[in-house]
Amino acid sequence: MLVGTADAAALFKERAVEMTRIDTDAEMLEDVVVLQVLCEIESSEECAMLPPGLHPSLPPLVNWQAWSVPASPWGPFTLATTRIECRSGLRPRGLLTGAFSNSAAAAEALRERWGYSVRVAEVALERRYDEVRCSVALPGPDDEILDIGLRDPVPLGMTDVQYVASLHAANTERGLRLVQCDPRIEPERAERGQPIIDHFDAGAWGEERIAPFYPVSASVVTAQVTLPRLRFVCRPGEMAFTGTEHV
Amino acid sequence: MKFGIFFELSVPRPLTREMEYTVIHNALEQARLADELGFDVIWAVEHHFLEGYSHCSAPELFLTAAAMQTEKIRLGHGAVVTVKEINHPIRAAERGAFLDQLSGGRVEFGTARSSTWTELGGFQADPDATKKEWDEFVRVLPGMWTQERFSWEGNCFSMPERAVLPKPYQEPHPPLWVTVTSPGTELDAAARGLGALGVASASYDEQERRTKAYHQAIQNCDPVSDIVNDQVATLNFLYCHEKLERAATRGMNMLGYFGMLNSHLLFTREAYPTRAYQSLANLAPSGGGNADDPGAAAAIPQGVCIGDPQRIIEVIKRWESIGVDNLNFLLNAAEILNQDEVLESMRLFAREVMPAFPRPTAEHRGLPLHQQTEVSG
Repeated sequence: MLVGTADAAALFKERAVEMTRIDTDAEMLEDVVVLQVLCEIESSEECAMLPPGLHPSLPPLVNWQAWSVPASPWGPFTLATTRIECRSGLRPRGLLTGAFSNSAAAAEALRERWGYSVRVAEVALERRYDEVRCSVALPGPDDEILDIGLRDPVPLGMTDVQYVASLHAANTERGLRLVQCDPRIEPERAERGQPIIDHFDAGAWGEERIAPFYPVSASVVTAQVTLPRLRFVCRPGEMAFTGTEHV
Repeated sequence: MKFGIFFELSVPRPLTREMEYTVIHNALEQARLADELGFDVIWAVEHHFLEGYSHCSAPELFLTAAAMQTEKIRLGHGAVVTVKEINHPIRAAERGAFLDQLSGGRVEFGTARSSTWTELGGFQADPDATKKEWDEFVRVLPGMWTQERFSWEGNCFSMPERAVLPKPYQEPHPPLWVTVTSPGTELDAAARGLGALGVASASYDEQERRTKAYHQAIQNCDPVSDIVNDQVATLNFLYCHEKLERAATRGMNMLGYFGMLNSHLLFTREAYPTRAYQSLANLAPSGGGNADDPGAAAAIPQGVCIGDPQRIIEVIKRWESIGVDNLNFLLNAAEILNQDEVLESMRLFAREVMPAFPRPTAEHRGLPLHQQTEVSG
């Protein structure tokens, strides 16, 4: 079977965050707009982008998510993430390669409590009548690193959009671990539309080998999102059956 | 109780041409032995692009080869993917009828709409449309097979009047089935008079509830043809060995590996939000590992036919009591078991397990599964 071939320490050298504690409490966020865009990526590097504890999906996908959070303990914020869809044991997961938020306070909380490798940037999630757009730009001219979205939304059922749990590389007191973070997203409104992928600077998102080529889907929901208590961490060099640890 | 073999043709990596040859020809040898031992049916799936998991992209060719090498065993063409980008209904009807002629009327014809984005996306099919295409597909097949000339004006496809040839050998036509993964599809099957070809794992209680609902609903069906194929089949794994411990070790290796291959597929719902796919399909019962308790040994899951003959008899008695008519077995996964192990498992099953169940009489072997009368062994 296909398994990741990357050296975990080298792969996560730049991406792993420092987490002094992994026993955080849950936080509930209301009225969050969640945009999710999925795109098939070239498969030649599918195993090289994953550590040995993970397996690629067939075909490999990149998963972009953007959250617009109107209120939180850290104030309003917008978050954008890039993940590679994969498998940990039998379960679908998304391996985070990079994240950006427009709020330093939110970025700090997400990093320290849930292991998001998140930096501050200009992040926007805007909704128009027929389009939802997410853009991310670093400081400086012409430094846009993401421009994705959804066109012509049509209604879906509240349970029609599936979200996979996230895996975040973190240096913990146990060593380098993949922290499993599975936010519960409970939509009150859900729509699907044509995916738009106008710009993606893979290198800026921590994995320059992500090469999108076939847009799959785009959805947007308004939801209650619960950032969870962390339950599991995984040793990235081992298969999930032996490498999973309880928090 | 009727027993079948379910061929996925999974291939170990590296995916060499030689290994594909070995897998295909090992499966044909298993089909020949199944015929000799008195198994009732072999099913060959249709999958595309599912590297490692299933290389059975042309089941009609596999089944043609099997038909030429066997005498009595039924040939489950299934399930044929009823998505217009993948199979045109006319071609599916022609192939099914031709195989029925070649085999002297031994075809059981399964239908399915594919559950993975890997396949639907590969053919650029619309996941929202697959259910209605399937519904139209199963309504036109009997007409193509039985009417001298056939025409159709539908929502998904149309054709002017033509003779779809050849006609099947069986009168009036091969029995129709639909694969059942998502809960509720068994009721779709029952409403149309189709057999329910279960291909996802379910607990005893869940299967009992669904089987009862199916048998009840089919009593009032509006059948798509003259055949009401009142049959419930479920998928299982088979590894039978005299020593329970050995059976558990080797059988669970197979089951666990199949589960891993299955988990790597990109199911439609994960990639493409749609009302048309309400649940994730999963062929593999849990038991290949437990992330909640990494140190726990993998136990044989409930209802799985892995074990010594006595254990397997007990498991099948339970399925029988629930009302399941057919058990179809996966015999291997990516050649985790060697061919001798597989063949010996089949022989032991036929020798020690089959006689414990009412079985079709000799004169009924080869008839459509729903017409076979069973007598105690």
